[in-house]
Amino acid sequence: MHDLLNAYFDNELPEADRAAFEQHLTECPECTLELEAQTEVRVALQDEKLRYQPPPNLAARIKSSLPQVDWRPVPWRRAIVWMAAASILIGIGLTATGLGLILRAPSREDRLAQETMANHTRALQANHLLDIASTNQHKVKPWFQGKLDFAPPVENLAEQGYPLDGGRLDYVDGHNAAALVYHRRDHVINLFIWPASSADAPIRTTAGRGYNIAFWCKGGLNLWAVSDLNIDELREFAQKVQEATP
Amino acid sequence: MGAMDAPVSLAPEDPPLGEQDKRTSFEAATLPHLPAVYNLARWLTRNDQDAEDVVQEAYLRAFRFFDNFRGGDARPWLLAIVRNTCLTWLKRNRQDRPTSPLDSALNIVAADTPEPDEQLVQAANRRMVQQALNELPEEFREVVVLREMEGLAYKEIAAITDSAIGTVMSRLARGRKLLRDKLVDRQTDGS
Repeated sequence: MHDLLNAYFDNELPEADRAAFEQHLTECPECTLELEAQTEVRVALQDEKLRYQPPPNLAARIKSSLPQVDWRPVPWRRAIVWMAAASILIGIGLTATGLGLILRAPSREDRLAQETMANHTRALQANHLLDIASTNQHKVKPWFQGKLDFAPPVENLAEQGYPLDGGRLDYVDGHNAAALVYHRRDHVINLFIWPASSADAPIRTTAGRGYNIAFWCKGGLNLWAVSDLNIDELREFAQKVQEATP
Repeated sequence: MGAMDAPVSLAPEDPPLGEQDKRTSFEAATLPHLPAVYNLARWLTRNDQDAEDVVQEAYLRAFRFFDNFRGGDARPWLLAIVRNTCLTWLKRNRQDRPTSPLDSALNIVAADTPEPDEQLVQAANRRMVQQALNELPEEFREVVVLREMEGLAYKEIAAITDSAIGTVMSRLARGRKLLRDKLVDRQTDGS
């Protein structure tokens, strides 16, 4: 009976049932009272002021957090054309290999910089920084076992001034990646680690969108550190990680 | 060799057209429903900050699944995603999350401007309804919000909450009954 009354109240009864229920209403004061009471509550619930309004900046936050996948810097192609023209003009003969390096190497770094920065921002904004929160490297390291097809080096660098907060799984460059989270004062550092196919490479730095990045390659792994920390300290952080890992 | 040392360009640029199109149509289809999405998230999480985070996470998920969205009204589709995001979130954070002060978002006006008595009474009533609805168990709270505030049909509510229409009906009936009992209790207490 109660469901029937609710369905009538919500205008969800088929025509025949509806007519039958209306007939019933004429002879059942109980149901009539019930309907009146429900209407009262409905009016109260439909008060516009009872709705919560999204904060004014939320739409902008959402827009800026949407992933920038398949991002490719169009001006690079223009720059390449320009550089190629310039190099011909000043008479430098570029070998095919050299040209290949120019075309590939910078755009890969550029893309990884974009990708790691986007991951860093997203982890902070979506409030999903840590899958495992622990300052203990012996807890964080085994946590990745079975989740990754490589073993990321995990060191707590608290003594060196960069305490470990924990880690989470992330995705970079088409691979599952370990994201280790450190901090310096109130600056969060995300250290992304995933397998590399290239040889060891020294620490280099770059910057963009208010973030600094230090990246290098060691022991068959790519290591990219992203933070809003100043570049000198981020480079120091990178050196400490490099020293601590075999 | 000089060309090799050219700085890596990191200035944000326009994404390629296909990607840009996807973002534009995603935003056009989903952002108009932000008030409904936020309202549901806020009623389910009962906390301003959580609601914001959940909504943002839900939009990211929606963007990822947007290729599967077959057009039409994006509202029920989005509400289903935000509802699931809320449930996951609540499971993860249930222990240590305080609920926001009850009148946080609703009575800003009351605090700022002097109001005639009648509006004060209305505000008090509103607070009472808000409190009663907040106290409803989750499964009743969500159907009441979806039905009374969003005006959705049983079929849509069933799809959003991943349950049978019969379940929606009985939860709605039970939820309304509980809500009314709470309101009656409060009114008797207050007078």
